[in-house]
Amino acid sequence: MLKNYIVIIKSSFIAILLASNIALAENVQVKFAYIGQKDHSALLGAQQGLSEANLQGQFLNQIYELDLISAEDANTHDFSNYIAVLTAVDTDSYTKLADTLPNIAVFNLSIKDDQLRSTCIKNTLHVIPSNAMETDAKNQWQKKKPDSTVNAQAWHPDFVKFAARDLNKRFKKNQKKLMDDNSWAGWAAVKMTSDAVARTKINDPAKMLNYLKTDLAFDGQKGSVMSFRETGQLRQPILLVENNKIVAEAPVRGIAKPPTLDSLGILSCEK
Amino acid sequence: MKMYLAPIIFFAFVCNSVSAAPTGRIFITNERGDSVSVINGSTLDVEATIDVGERPRGIGLSPDGNELYVAVSEENKIKVIDPVSLKILREFEAGSDPETFAVHPNGNIYISNEDDAKASVFDPKTGAQVAEINVGLEPEGVAISPDGKRVIVTSESTNMLHVIKASDNTIEKNILVGSRPRAATFTQSGDIAYATAEISGEVVKVDMNTGEILKRGSAGDSKSKPKDVVLSKDESVIYVAGGRANKVVVMDAKTLEIITGIPVGKRVWGLAISKNGEQVFSTDGVSGTVSVIDTRNNEVIKTVEVGEFPWGVVIND
Repeated sequence: MLKNYIVIIKSSFIAILLASNIALAENVQVKFAYIGQKDHSALLGAQQGLSEANLQGQFLNQIYELDLISAEDANTHDFSNYIAVLTAVDTDSYTKLADTLPNIAVFNLSIKDDQLRSTCIKNTLHVIPSNAMETDAKNQWQKKKPDSTVNAQAWHPDFVKFAARDLNKRFKKNQKKLMDDNSWAGWAAVKMTSDAVARTKINDPAKMLNYLKTDLAFDGQKGSVMSFRETGQLRQPILLVENNKIVAEAPVRGIAKPPTLDSLGILSCEK
Repeated sequence: MKMYLAPIIFFAFVCNSVSAAPTGRIFITNERGDSVSVINGSTLDVEATIDVGERPRGIGLSPDGNELYVAVSEENKIKVIDPVSLKILREFEAGSDPETFAVHPNGNIYISNEDDAKASVFDPKTGAQVAEINVGLEPEGVAISPDGKRVIVTSESTNMLHVIKASDNTIEKNILVGSRPRAATFTQSGDIAYATAEISGEVVKVDMNTGEILKRGSAGDSKSKPKDVVLSKDESVIYVAGGRANKVVVMDAKTLEIITGIPVGKRVWGLAISKNGEQVFSTDGVSGTVSVIDTRNNEVIKTVEVGEFPWGVVIND
């Protein structure tokens, strides 16, 4: 009788242990840093990306966080616990940051400068398209429609194809604003990194930087698989907009040479 | 004598109402046409068009084949249509932006609510919501195992197959697959499922008991953006809608190697296979056509013009 009783206690103890084990299944914490103004639209995008990363993370026991750091505090801040750094700052601050944090991906969400691409600092990842990409996109369209005066953009709040409609809808619902180019860049930086964490379980910044630069195949909700060039620039389609209406996407079909995302912008580094 | 006759008559009556002879018709939702095209199964001509409301997408039949269900996305409703008289019988609220659904052998409808990161379960007899399940972003494809035990909901932006236990509508497993998983289908035994990933351009074969990905196969060139998937009757090949590749891709179910590509109309989305396994129907979105494929030689035997942007297809056979 007593023996049986002990067995019951033992087995229920094990059951409790097992149950608590399941409940406490190790949550992995993944942290991003954002450096820039708090009212920059890139931050809204990063926050949207973060909420989506956590939605995915709930199924994989991953928790994502985002620390906001001002450009002034960045000099003294300890960045050792971050998977990646997101920035919406000026070119000088960006170059300095990339220099002081050589083993972590430093995402550029706002600077279009071509020179920054051709210098190819190894940890710089430019999610926002460069000036050269936008110019090439416009030129492609003007070859087809010589009289048009279009703008080239990374994103547009009326974009609906490739499930862009869904992204615009949930961004507006959650952030109470329309998604612009910088917001898309912020969203994309967080989303591509969290997708990589989900797939590879990488939680080390140097390994993540290497993965992003060499193995990325990202669905940025613009229809094409996106990856980084050796310049650190994200290959991506560009939207052509006339009078605030989307008229085409570049690469422009039938015009672009090569007919791929590499018809837009600078492809290689300054030697 | 009379005493025996009454139950026989009653039995015959019940049988009749439970499973009417199938109409043989093929029903197509036209996403931009706001209609359902009705194709005659013998002549393969459109015999009627039903106005159903704004942006119809998912389409399915009740297990007894007596009711046709259409998800009318912009109205957030499912409309119930009589496949014989083609009259809209009733409608019910189906959550936000209902898209794809599948009908469980018990009659309940499992539907993905794209805007809400949710799947919901409805009883189409009453229109009551039976359950709501939190899934990943942009839930899309829904598939139910033939024995009714498991339901797969794909989430396009979270890149997962969410495997739901139908007995209590809880998530049993979350399986990471390629980018933008669109659709899935089970084998008869329910042990294996095939799923397409649009942006990765691949098909995965998954062991449903372990959640392990057994095989990955590319569905063609870079234009290939696989959408719907169906399995042949003998389960030896899968048919995959190739999207912009404008082909239905035939793949070996074991090796996931491409056997052939069948040219169809532009932007092929939806697929359905007849119960006898002899015909596959594809909806060719941009062309506004349905292609009828003879599976014995994998050739298109007829191209049927339907409404604008045909999306979903179901066969009442």
